[in-house]
Amino acid sequence: MKKVININFQGAIVPIEESAYELLQQYTESLRRYFAEEEGKDEIINDIESRISELFQARLKNGATCITDDDVNAIIDNMGRPADFEKEEGASKDSEEKTSSAQQQQQHWTSGSKRLYRDENNKILGGVCSGIGTYVGIDPWIVRIIFIVSGIGLLAYLILWIFLPTNVSLSPSGPHKKLYRNPDDKIIAGVCGGIGSYFGINPWLPRMLFLLPFIIFVFRWHNFVGFSFPDFIRFTFSPGTLFFYIILWLVIPEAKTTSEKLEMKGEKINLDSIKESVAKEMKGVSERVGKMGMEAGEFMKNKGPEMGKEFGSAVNRGSAAIGRIIILLIKIFLYMILACVALAIIVAVFSVAFVAIGLFPLKDFVLSDGWQNVLAWLTLIFFIGVPVVGIITYLIRKIARVKSARKTIRYAFVGLWVFGWICFFALISFVGRDFNSMNSFNEQSLILSNPTTTYLEVKPINSRDFRWRGWFRMEPYSSFGIADDTAMVGNVRLRIVQSPTDSFQVSYIKLSNGSSRQNADKLASLITFNGFQQDSTLYLDNGVAINKTDKFRNQQVEVTIAVPVGKRIKINRTFGYRNDVTVGWGNPNDRYWGRLGYSDYDFSYGEEYMMKVDGLHNINGDWNDDSDYEGNGEPYRYKNSIKIDSIKKQHEEQINLLREKIDSTKEAQKKEMKRLQDSLQNRRNEIDKKLKALESKTAWVTPLPLIMNSKNIYPFLNYI
Amino acid sequence: MCCNCAQQGFKSYDMNIENTASQMRKGVLEFCILSIIKLGEAYPSDIIDMMKSANLNIFEGTLYPLLTRLKNAELLTYRWVESNSGPPRKYFSMTEKGAEFYKELEATWNELANAVDTITGKNKQ
Repeated sequence: MKKVININFQGAIVPIEESAYELLQQYTESLRRYFAEEEGKDEIINDIESRISELFQARLKNGATCITDDDVNAIIDNMGRPADFEKEEGASKDSEEKTSSAQQQQQHWTSGSKRLYRDENNKILGGVCSGIGTYVGIDPWIVRIIFIVSGIGLLAYLILWIFLPTNVSLSPSGPHKKLYRNPDDKIIAGVCGGIGSYFGINPWLPRMLFLLPFIIFVFRWHNFVGFSFPDFIRFTFSPGTLFFYIILWLVIPEAKTTSEKLEMKGEKINLDSIKESVAKEMKGVSERVGKMGMEAGEFMKNKGPEMGKEFGSAVNRGSAAIGRIIILLIKIFLYMILACVALAIIVAVFSVAFVAIGLFPLKDFVLSDGWQNVLAWLTLIFFIGVPVVGIITYLIRKIARVKSARKTIRYAFVGLWVFGWICFFALISFVGRDFNSMNSFNEQSLILSNPTTTYLEVKPINSRDFRWRGWFRMEPYSSFGIADDTAMVGNVRLRIVQSPTDSFQVSYIKLSNGSSRQNADKLASLITFNGFQQDSTLYLDNGVAINKTDKFRNQQVEVTIAVPVGKRIKINRTFGYRNDVTVGWGNPNDRYWGRLGYSDYDFSYGEEYMMKVDGLHNINGDWNDDSDYEGNGEPYRYKNSIKIDSIKKQHEEQINLLREKIDSTKEAQKKEMKRLQDSLQNRRNEIDKKLKALESKTAWVTPLPLIMNSKNIYPFLNYI
Repeated sequence: MCCNCAQQGFKSYDMNIENTASQMRKGVLEFCILSIIKLGEAYPSDIIDMMKSANLNIFEGTLYPLLTRLKNAELLTYRWVESNSGPPRKYFSMTEKGAEFYKELEATWNELANAVDTITGKNKQ
């Protein structure tokens, strides 16, 4: 027998056994406990009770007089107990609890610690205040008011907006984060939406950046109607950013599938994250804030160290971001330098190519036929041509966005270029061999018609007239005048020396290189050099003619003009046309083989010089010898020129004279001294004699005077 | 995660088939419920029955909270229907937002199913 009570259950009267009622009460109590944190727990419990009530009604309708224990148990079994819920939902229910609780449990699959995030679900601008509010434990609106009221609000807000991650995505460097276009958040093409998702910032930020020039443009145009044209073409203008936007639109793919969307936001794609992504949609915001009450206590406990840690990591993120920016800037700078260097190299290669091609007409003068020619061609093609072609193709590929060449092509290019290097070296060695030997030296004199003239002016023979060939002029080959098959090379050097006689003398030496001494001799003898005198003008060739048969083998002519003392000489400007004729000093006894034995300091063309004993003097008064350079080293070893010697001699003579003078003076002095001393001595002797005579006469009169000698009586005698 | 479990007195996470299975189920539960409701208005008992017929057993006690959450997320809405055999019933139906959400879920499910089939070798692509 059991007691039956009537309960008012969900608006209906239900007779129920007392024990059954107990069970029911326990059940509902357990439910209440289980759903304590659940949003809408009242509603849930009500629903369940409602369902139970329905079942009660059904039973009663079927003829039961009251609800028994068994009924209740059966119903409860059907409904499921909290224990069953637990089992059914397992550990995920725990985590569900957690996620359904505070905000900060979002990234539960990564860590369990609480973190400060921006709340994307409850945001006015960027969810900063919501995030802070959730983290700290106060209503976001209070936080907002604080931000607005305090002066630093906006700046601090912006900083936090940038640096705090959202609760949706991890930091930009999270796992599997790719840049997609966001189809769910697009105005035009979702470019900015995708960018926003990737960086975890509000998509309106990049949108503003893109639109800014537009706005400026419109604003400006509106205000300044008559704007000057060039300003419209600035890159910062709408066309520029629009261009950029279109590029992004084309390049960035759209996130169509959920997995792509998750990738866009940077979450791990697994069951958890999908569930999370789905669950996120379901959790209302108010739910979260409602949980704060419970978390507040916990928060109070952990507040100090946690917050410190949190701000620390936020600062780290900030400084990491700054560090990344700095590194990025450095990278950009380095890349720019690299680009400049690469550009310079490319320019150099191209210019070498041009020069090489430009030298082509000269090729035949330098290279002998056969191997050299072939090698020259090969060198041109491979050594110079290959890098040029390679660079051009590379550039075209880059511009046309063609796929990069395969490795084989690259290797082929490099191989060909190496072959070019080999050819180049071979060419140099071949050609070098032809310049190996020098000819034996052989001086010839030029007959002068009037060697005793007082003045000579040196002018070039213009027999080989060459015109400056327009655009084809290329430094330093301007000394090459090319007429037909002959090239003029300005390898004539003048030496001016002092003539031992009183007439002018002109001699010259022909020099040449060759593959052997015989060859060199032969080539040297083939040099034609002309010179003749006409009144007071000496006409000389101011260049050596090279033809294609004989080839250029560094043929030179060295002319020595001996100028007598007292005579004058002048080198006409045209002789030194383009300064390929060197004029300088030289001791006639020194013979230098061809190479730079001169200094052509200070020698002016077109000015008259007078040869004096000590050197050439510009009759206008400029000193033109190297007396200033006495004591300097090697380059002036031809200081052993006449004038220095003469000066030395002069000095020596003078010194000798002086010495003699000194000697003779000394001698004279000595003599004089001797004479004086002798005379003095004589005087003394005389006086002594006289005294003695006196003494003998008056020896008995005064003994004192006898003791005294003559000197004591006449002390002044000492002073004679 | 385990530490937090311990703190809150929950049992520790151990790898038994029950847990894994229930996790799997939990993932698709919302999808299934929404699928049923998509077909038409339904009330919890109906939903349970339909799921039972599809061999997906679920406690009512699990269903109600779920439905409530869905309703709070504005994916479902309900209306009261008077019944002569008991207290009024809630008939749930899908909102527009719910429909959109459902599409998402469906896509996700298809993707997942595809993926799993591929991986387990059932799908010869």
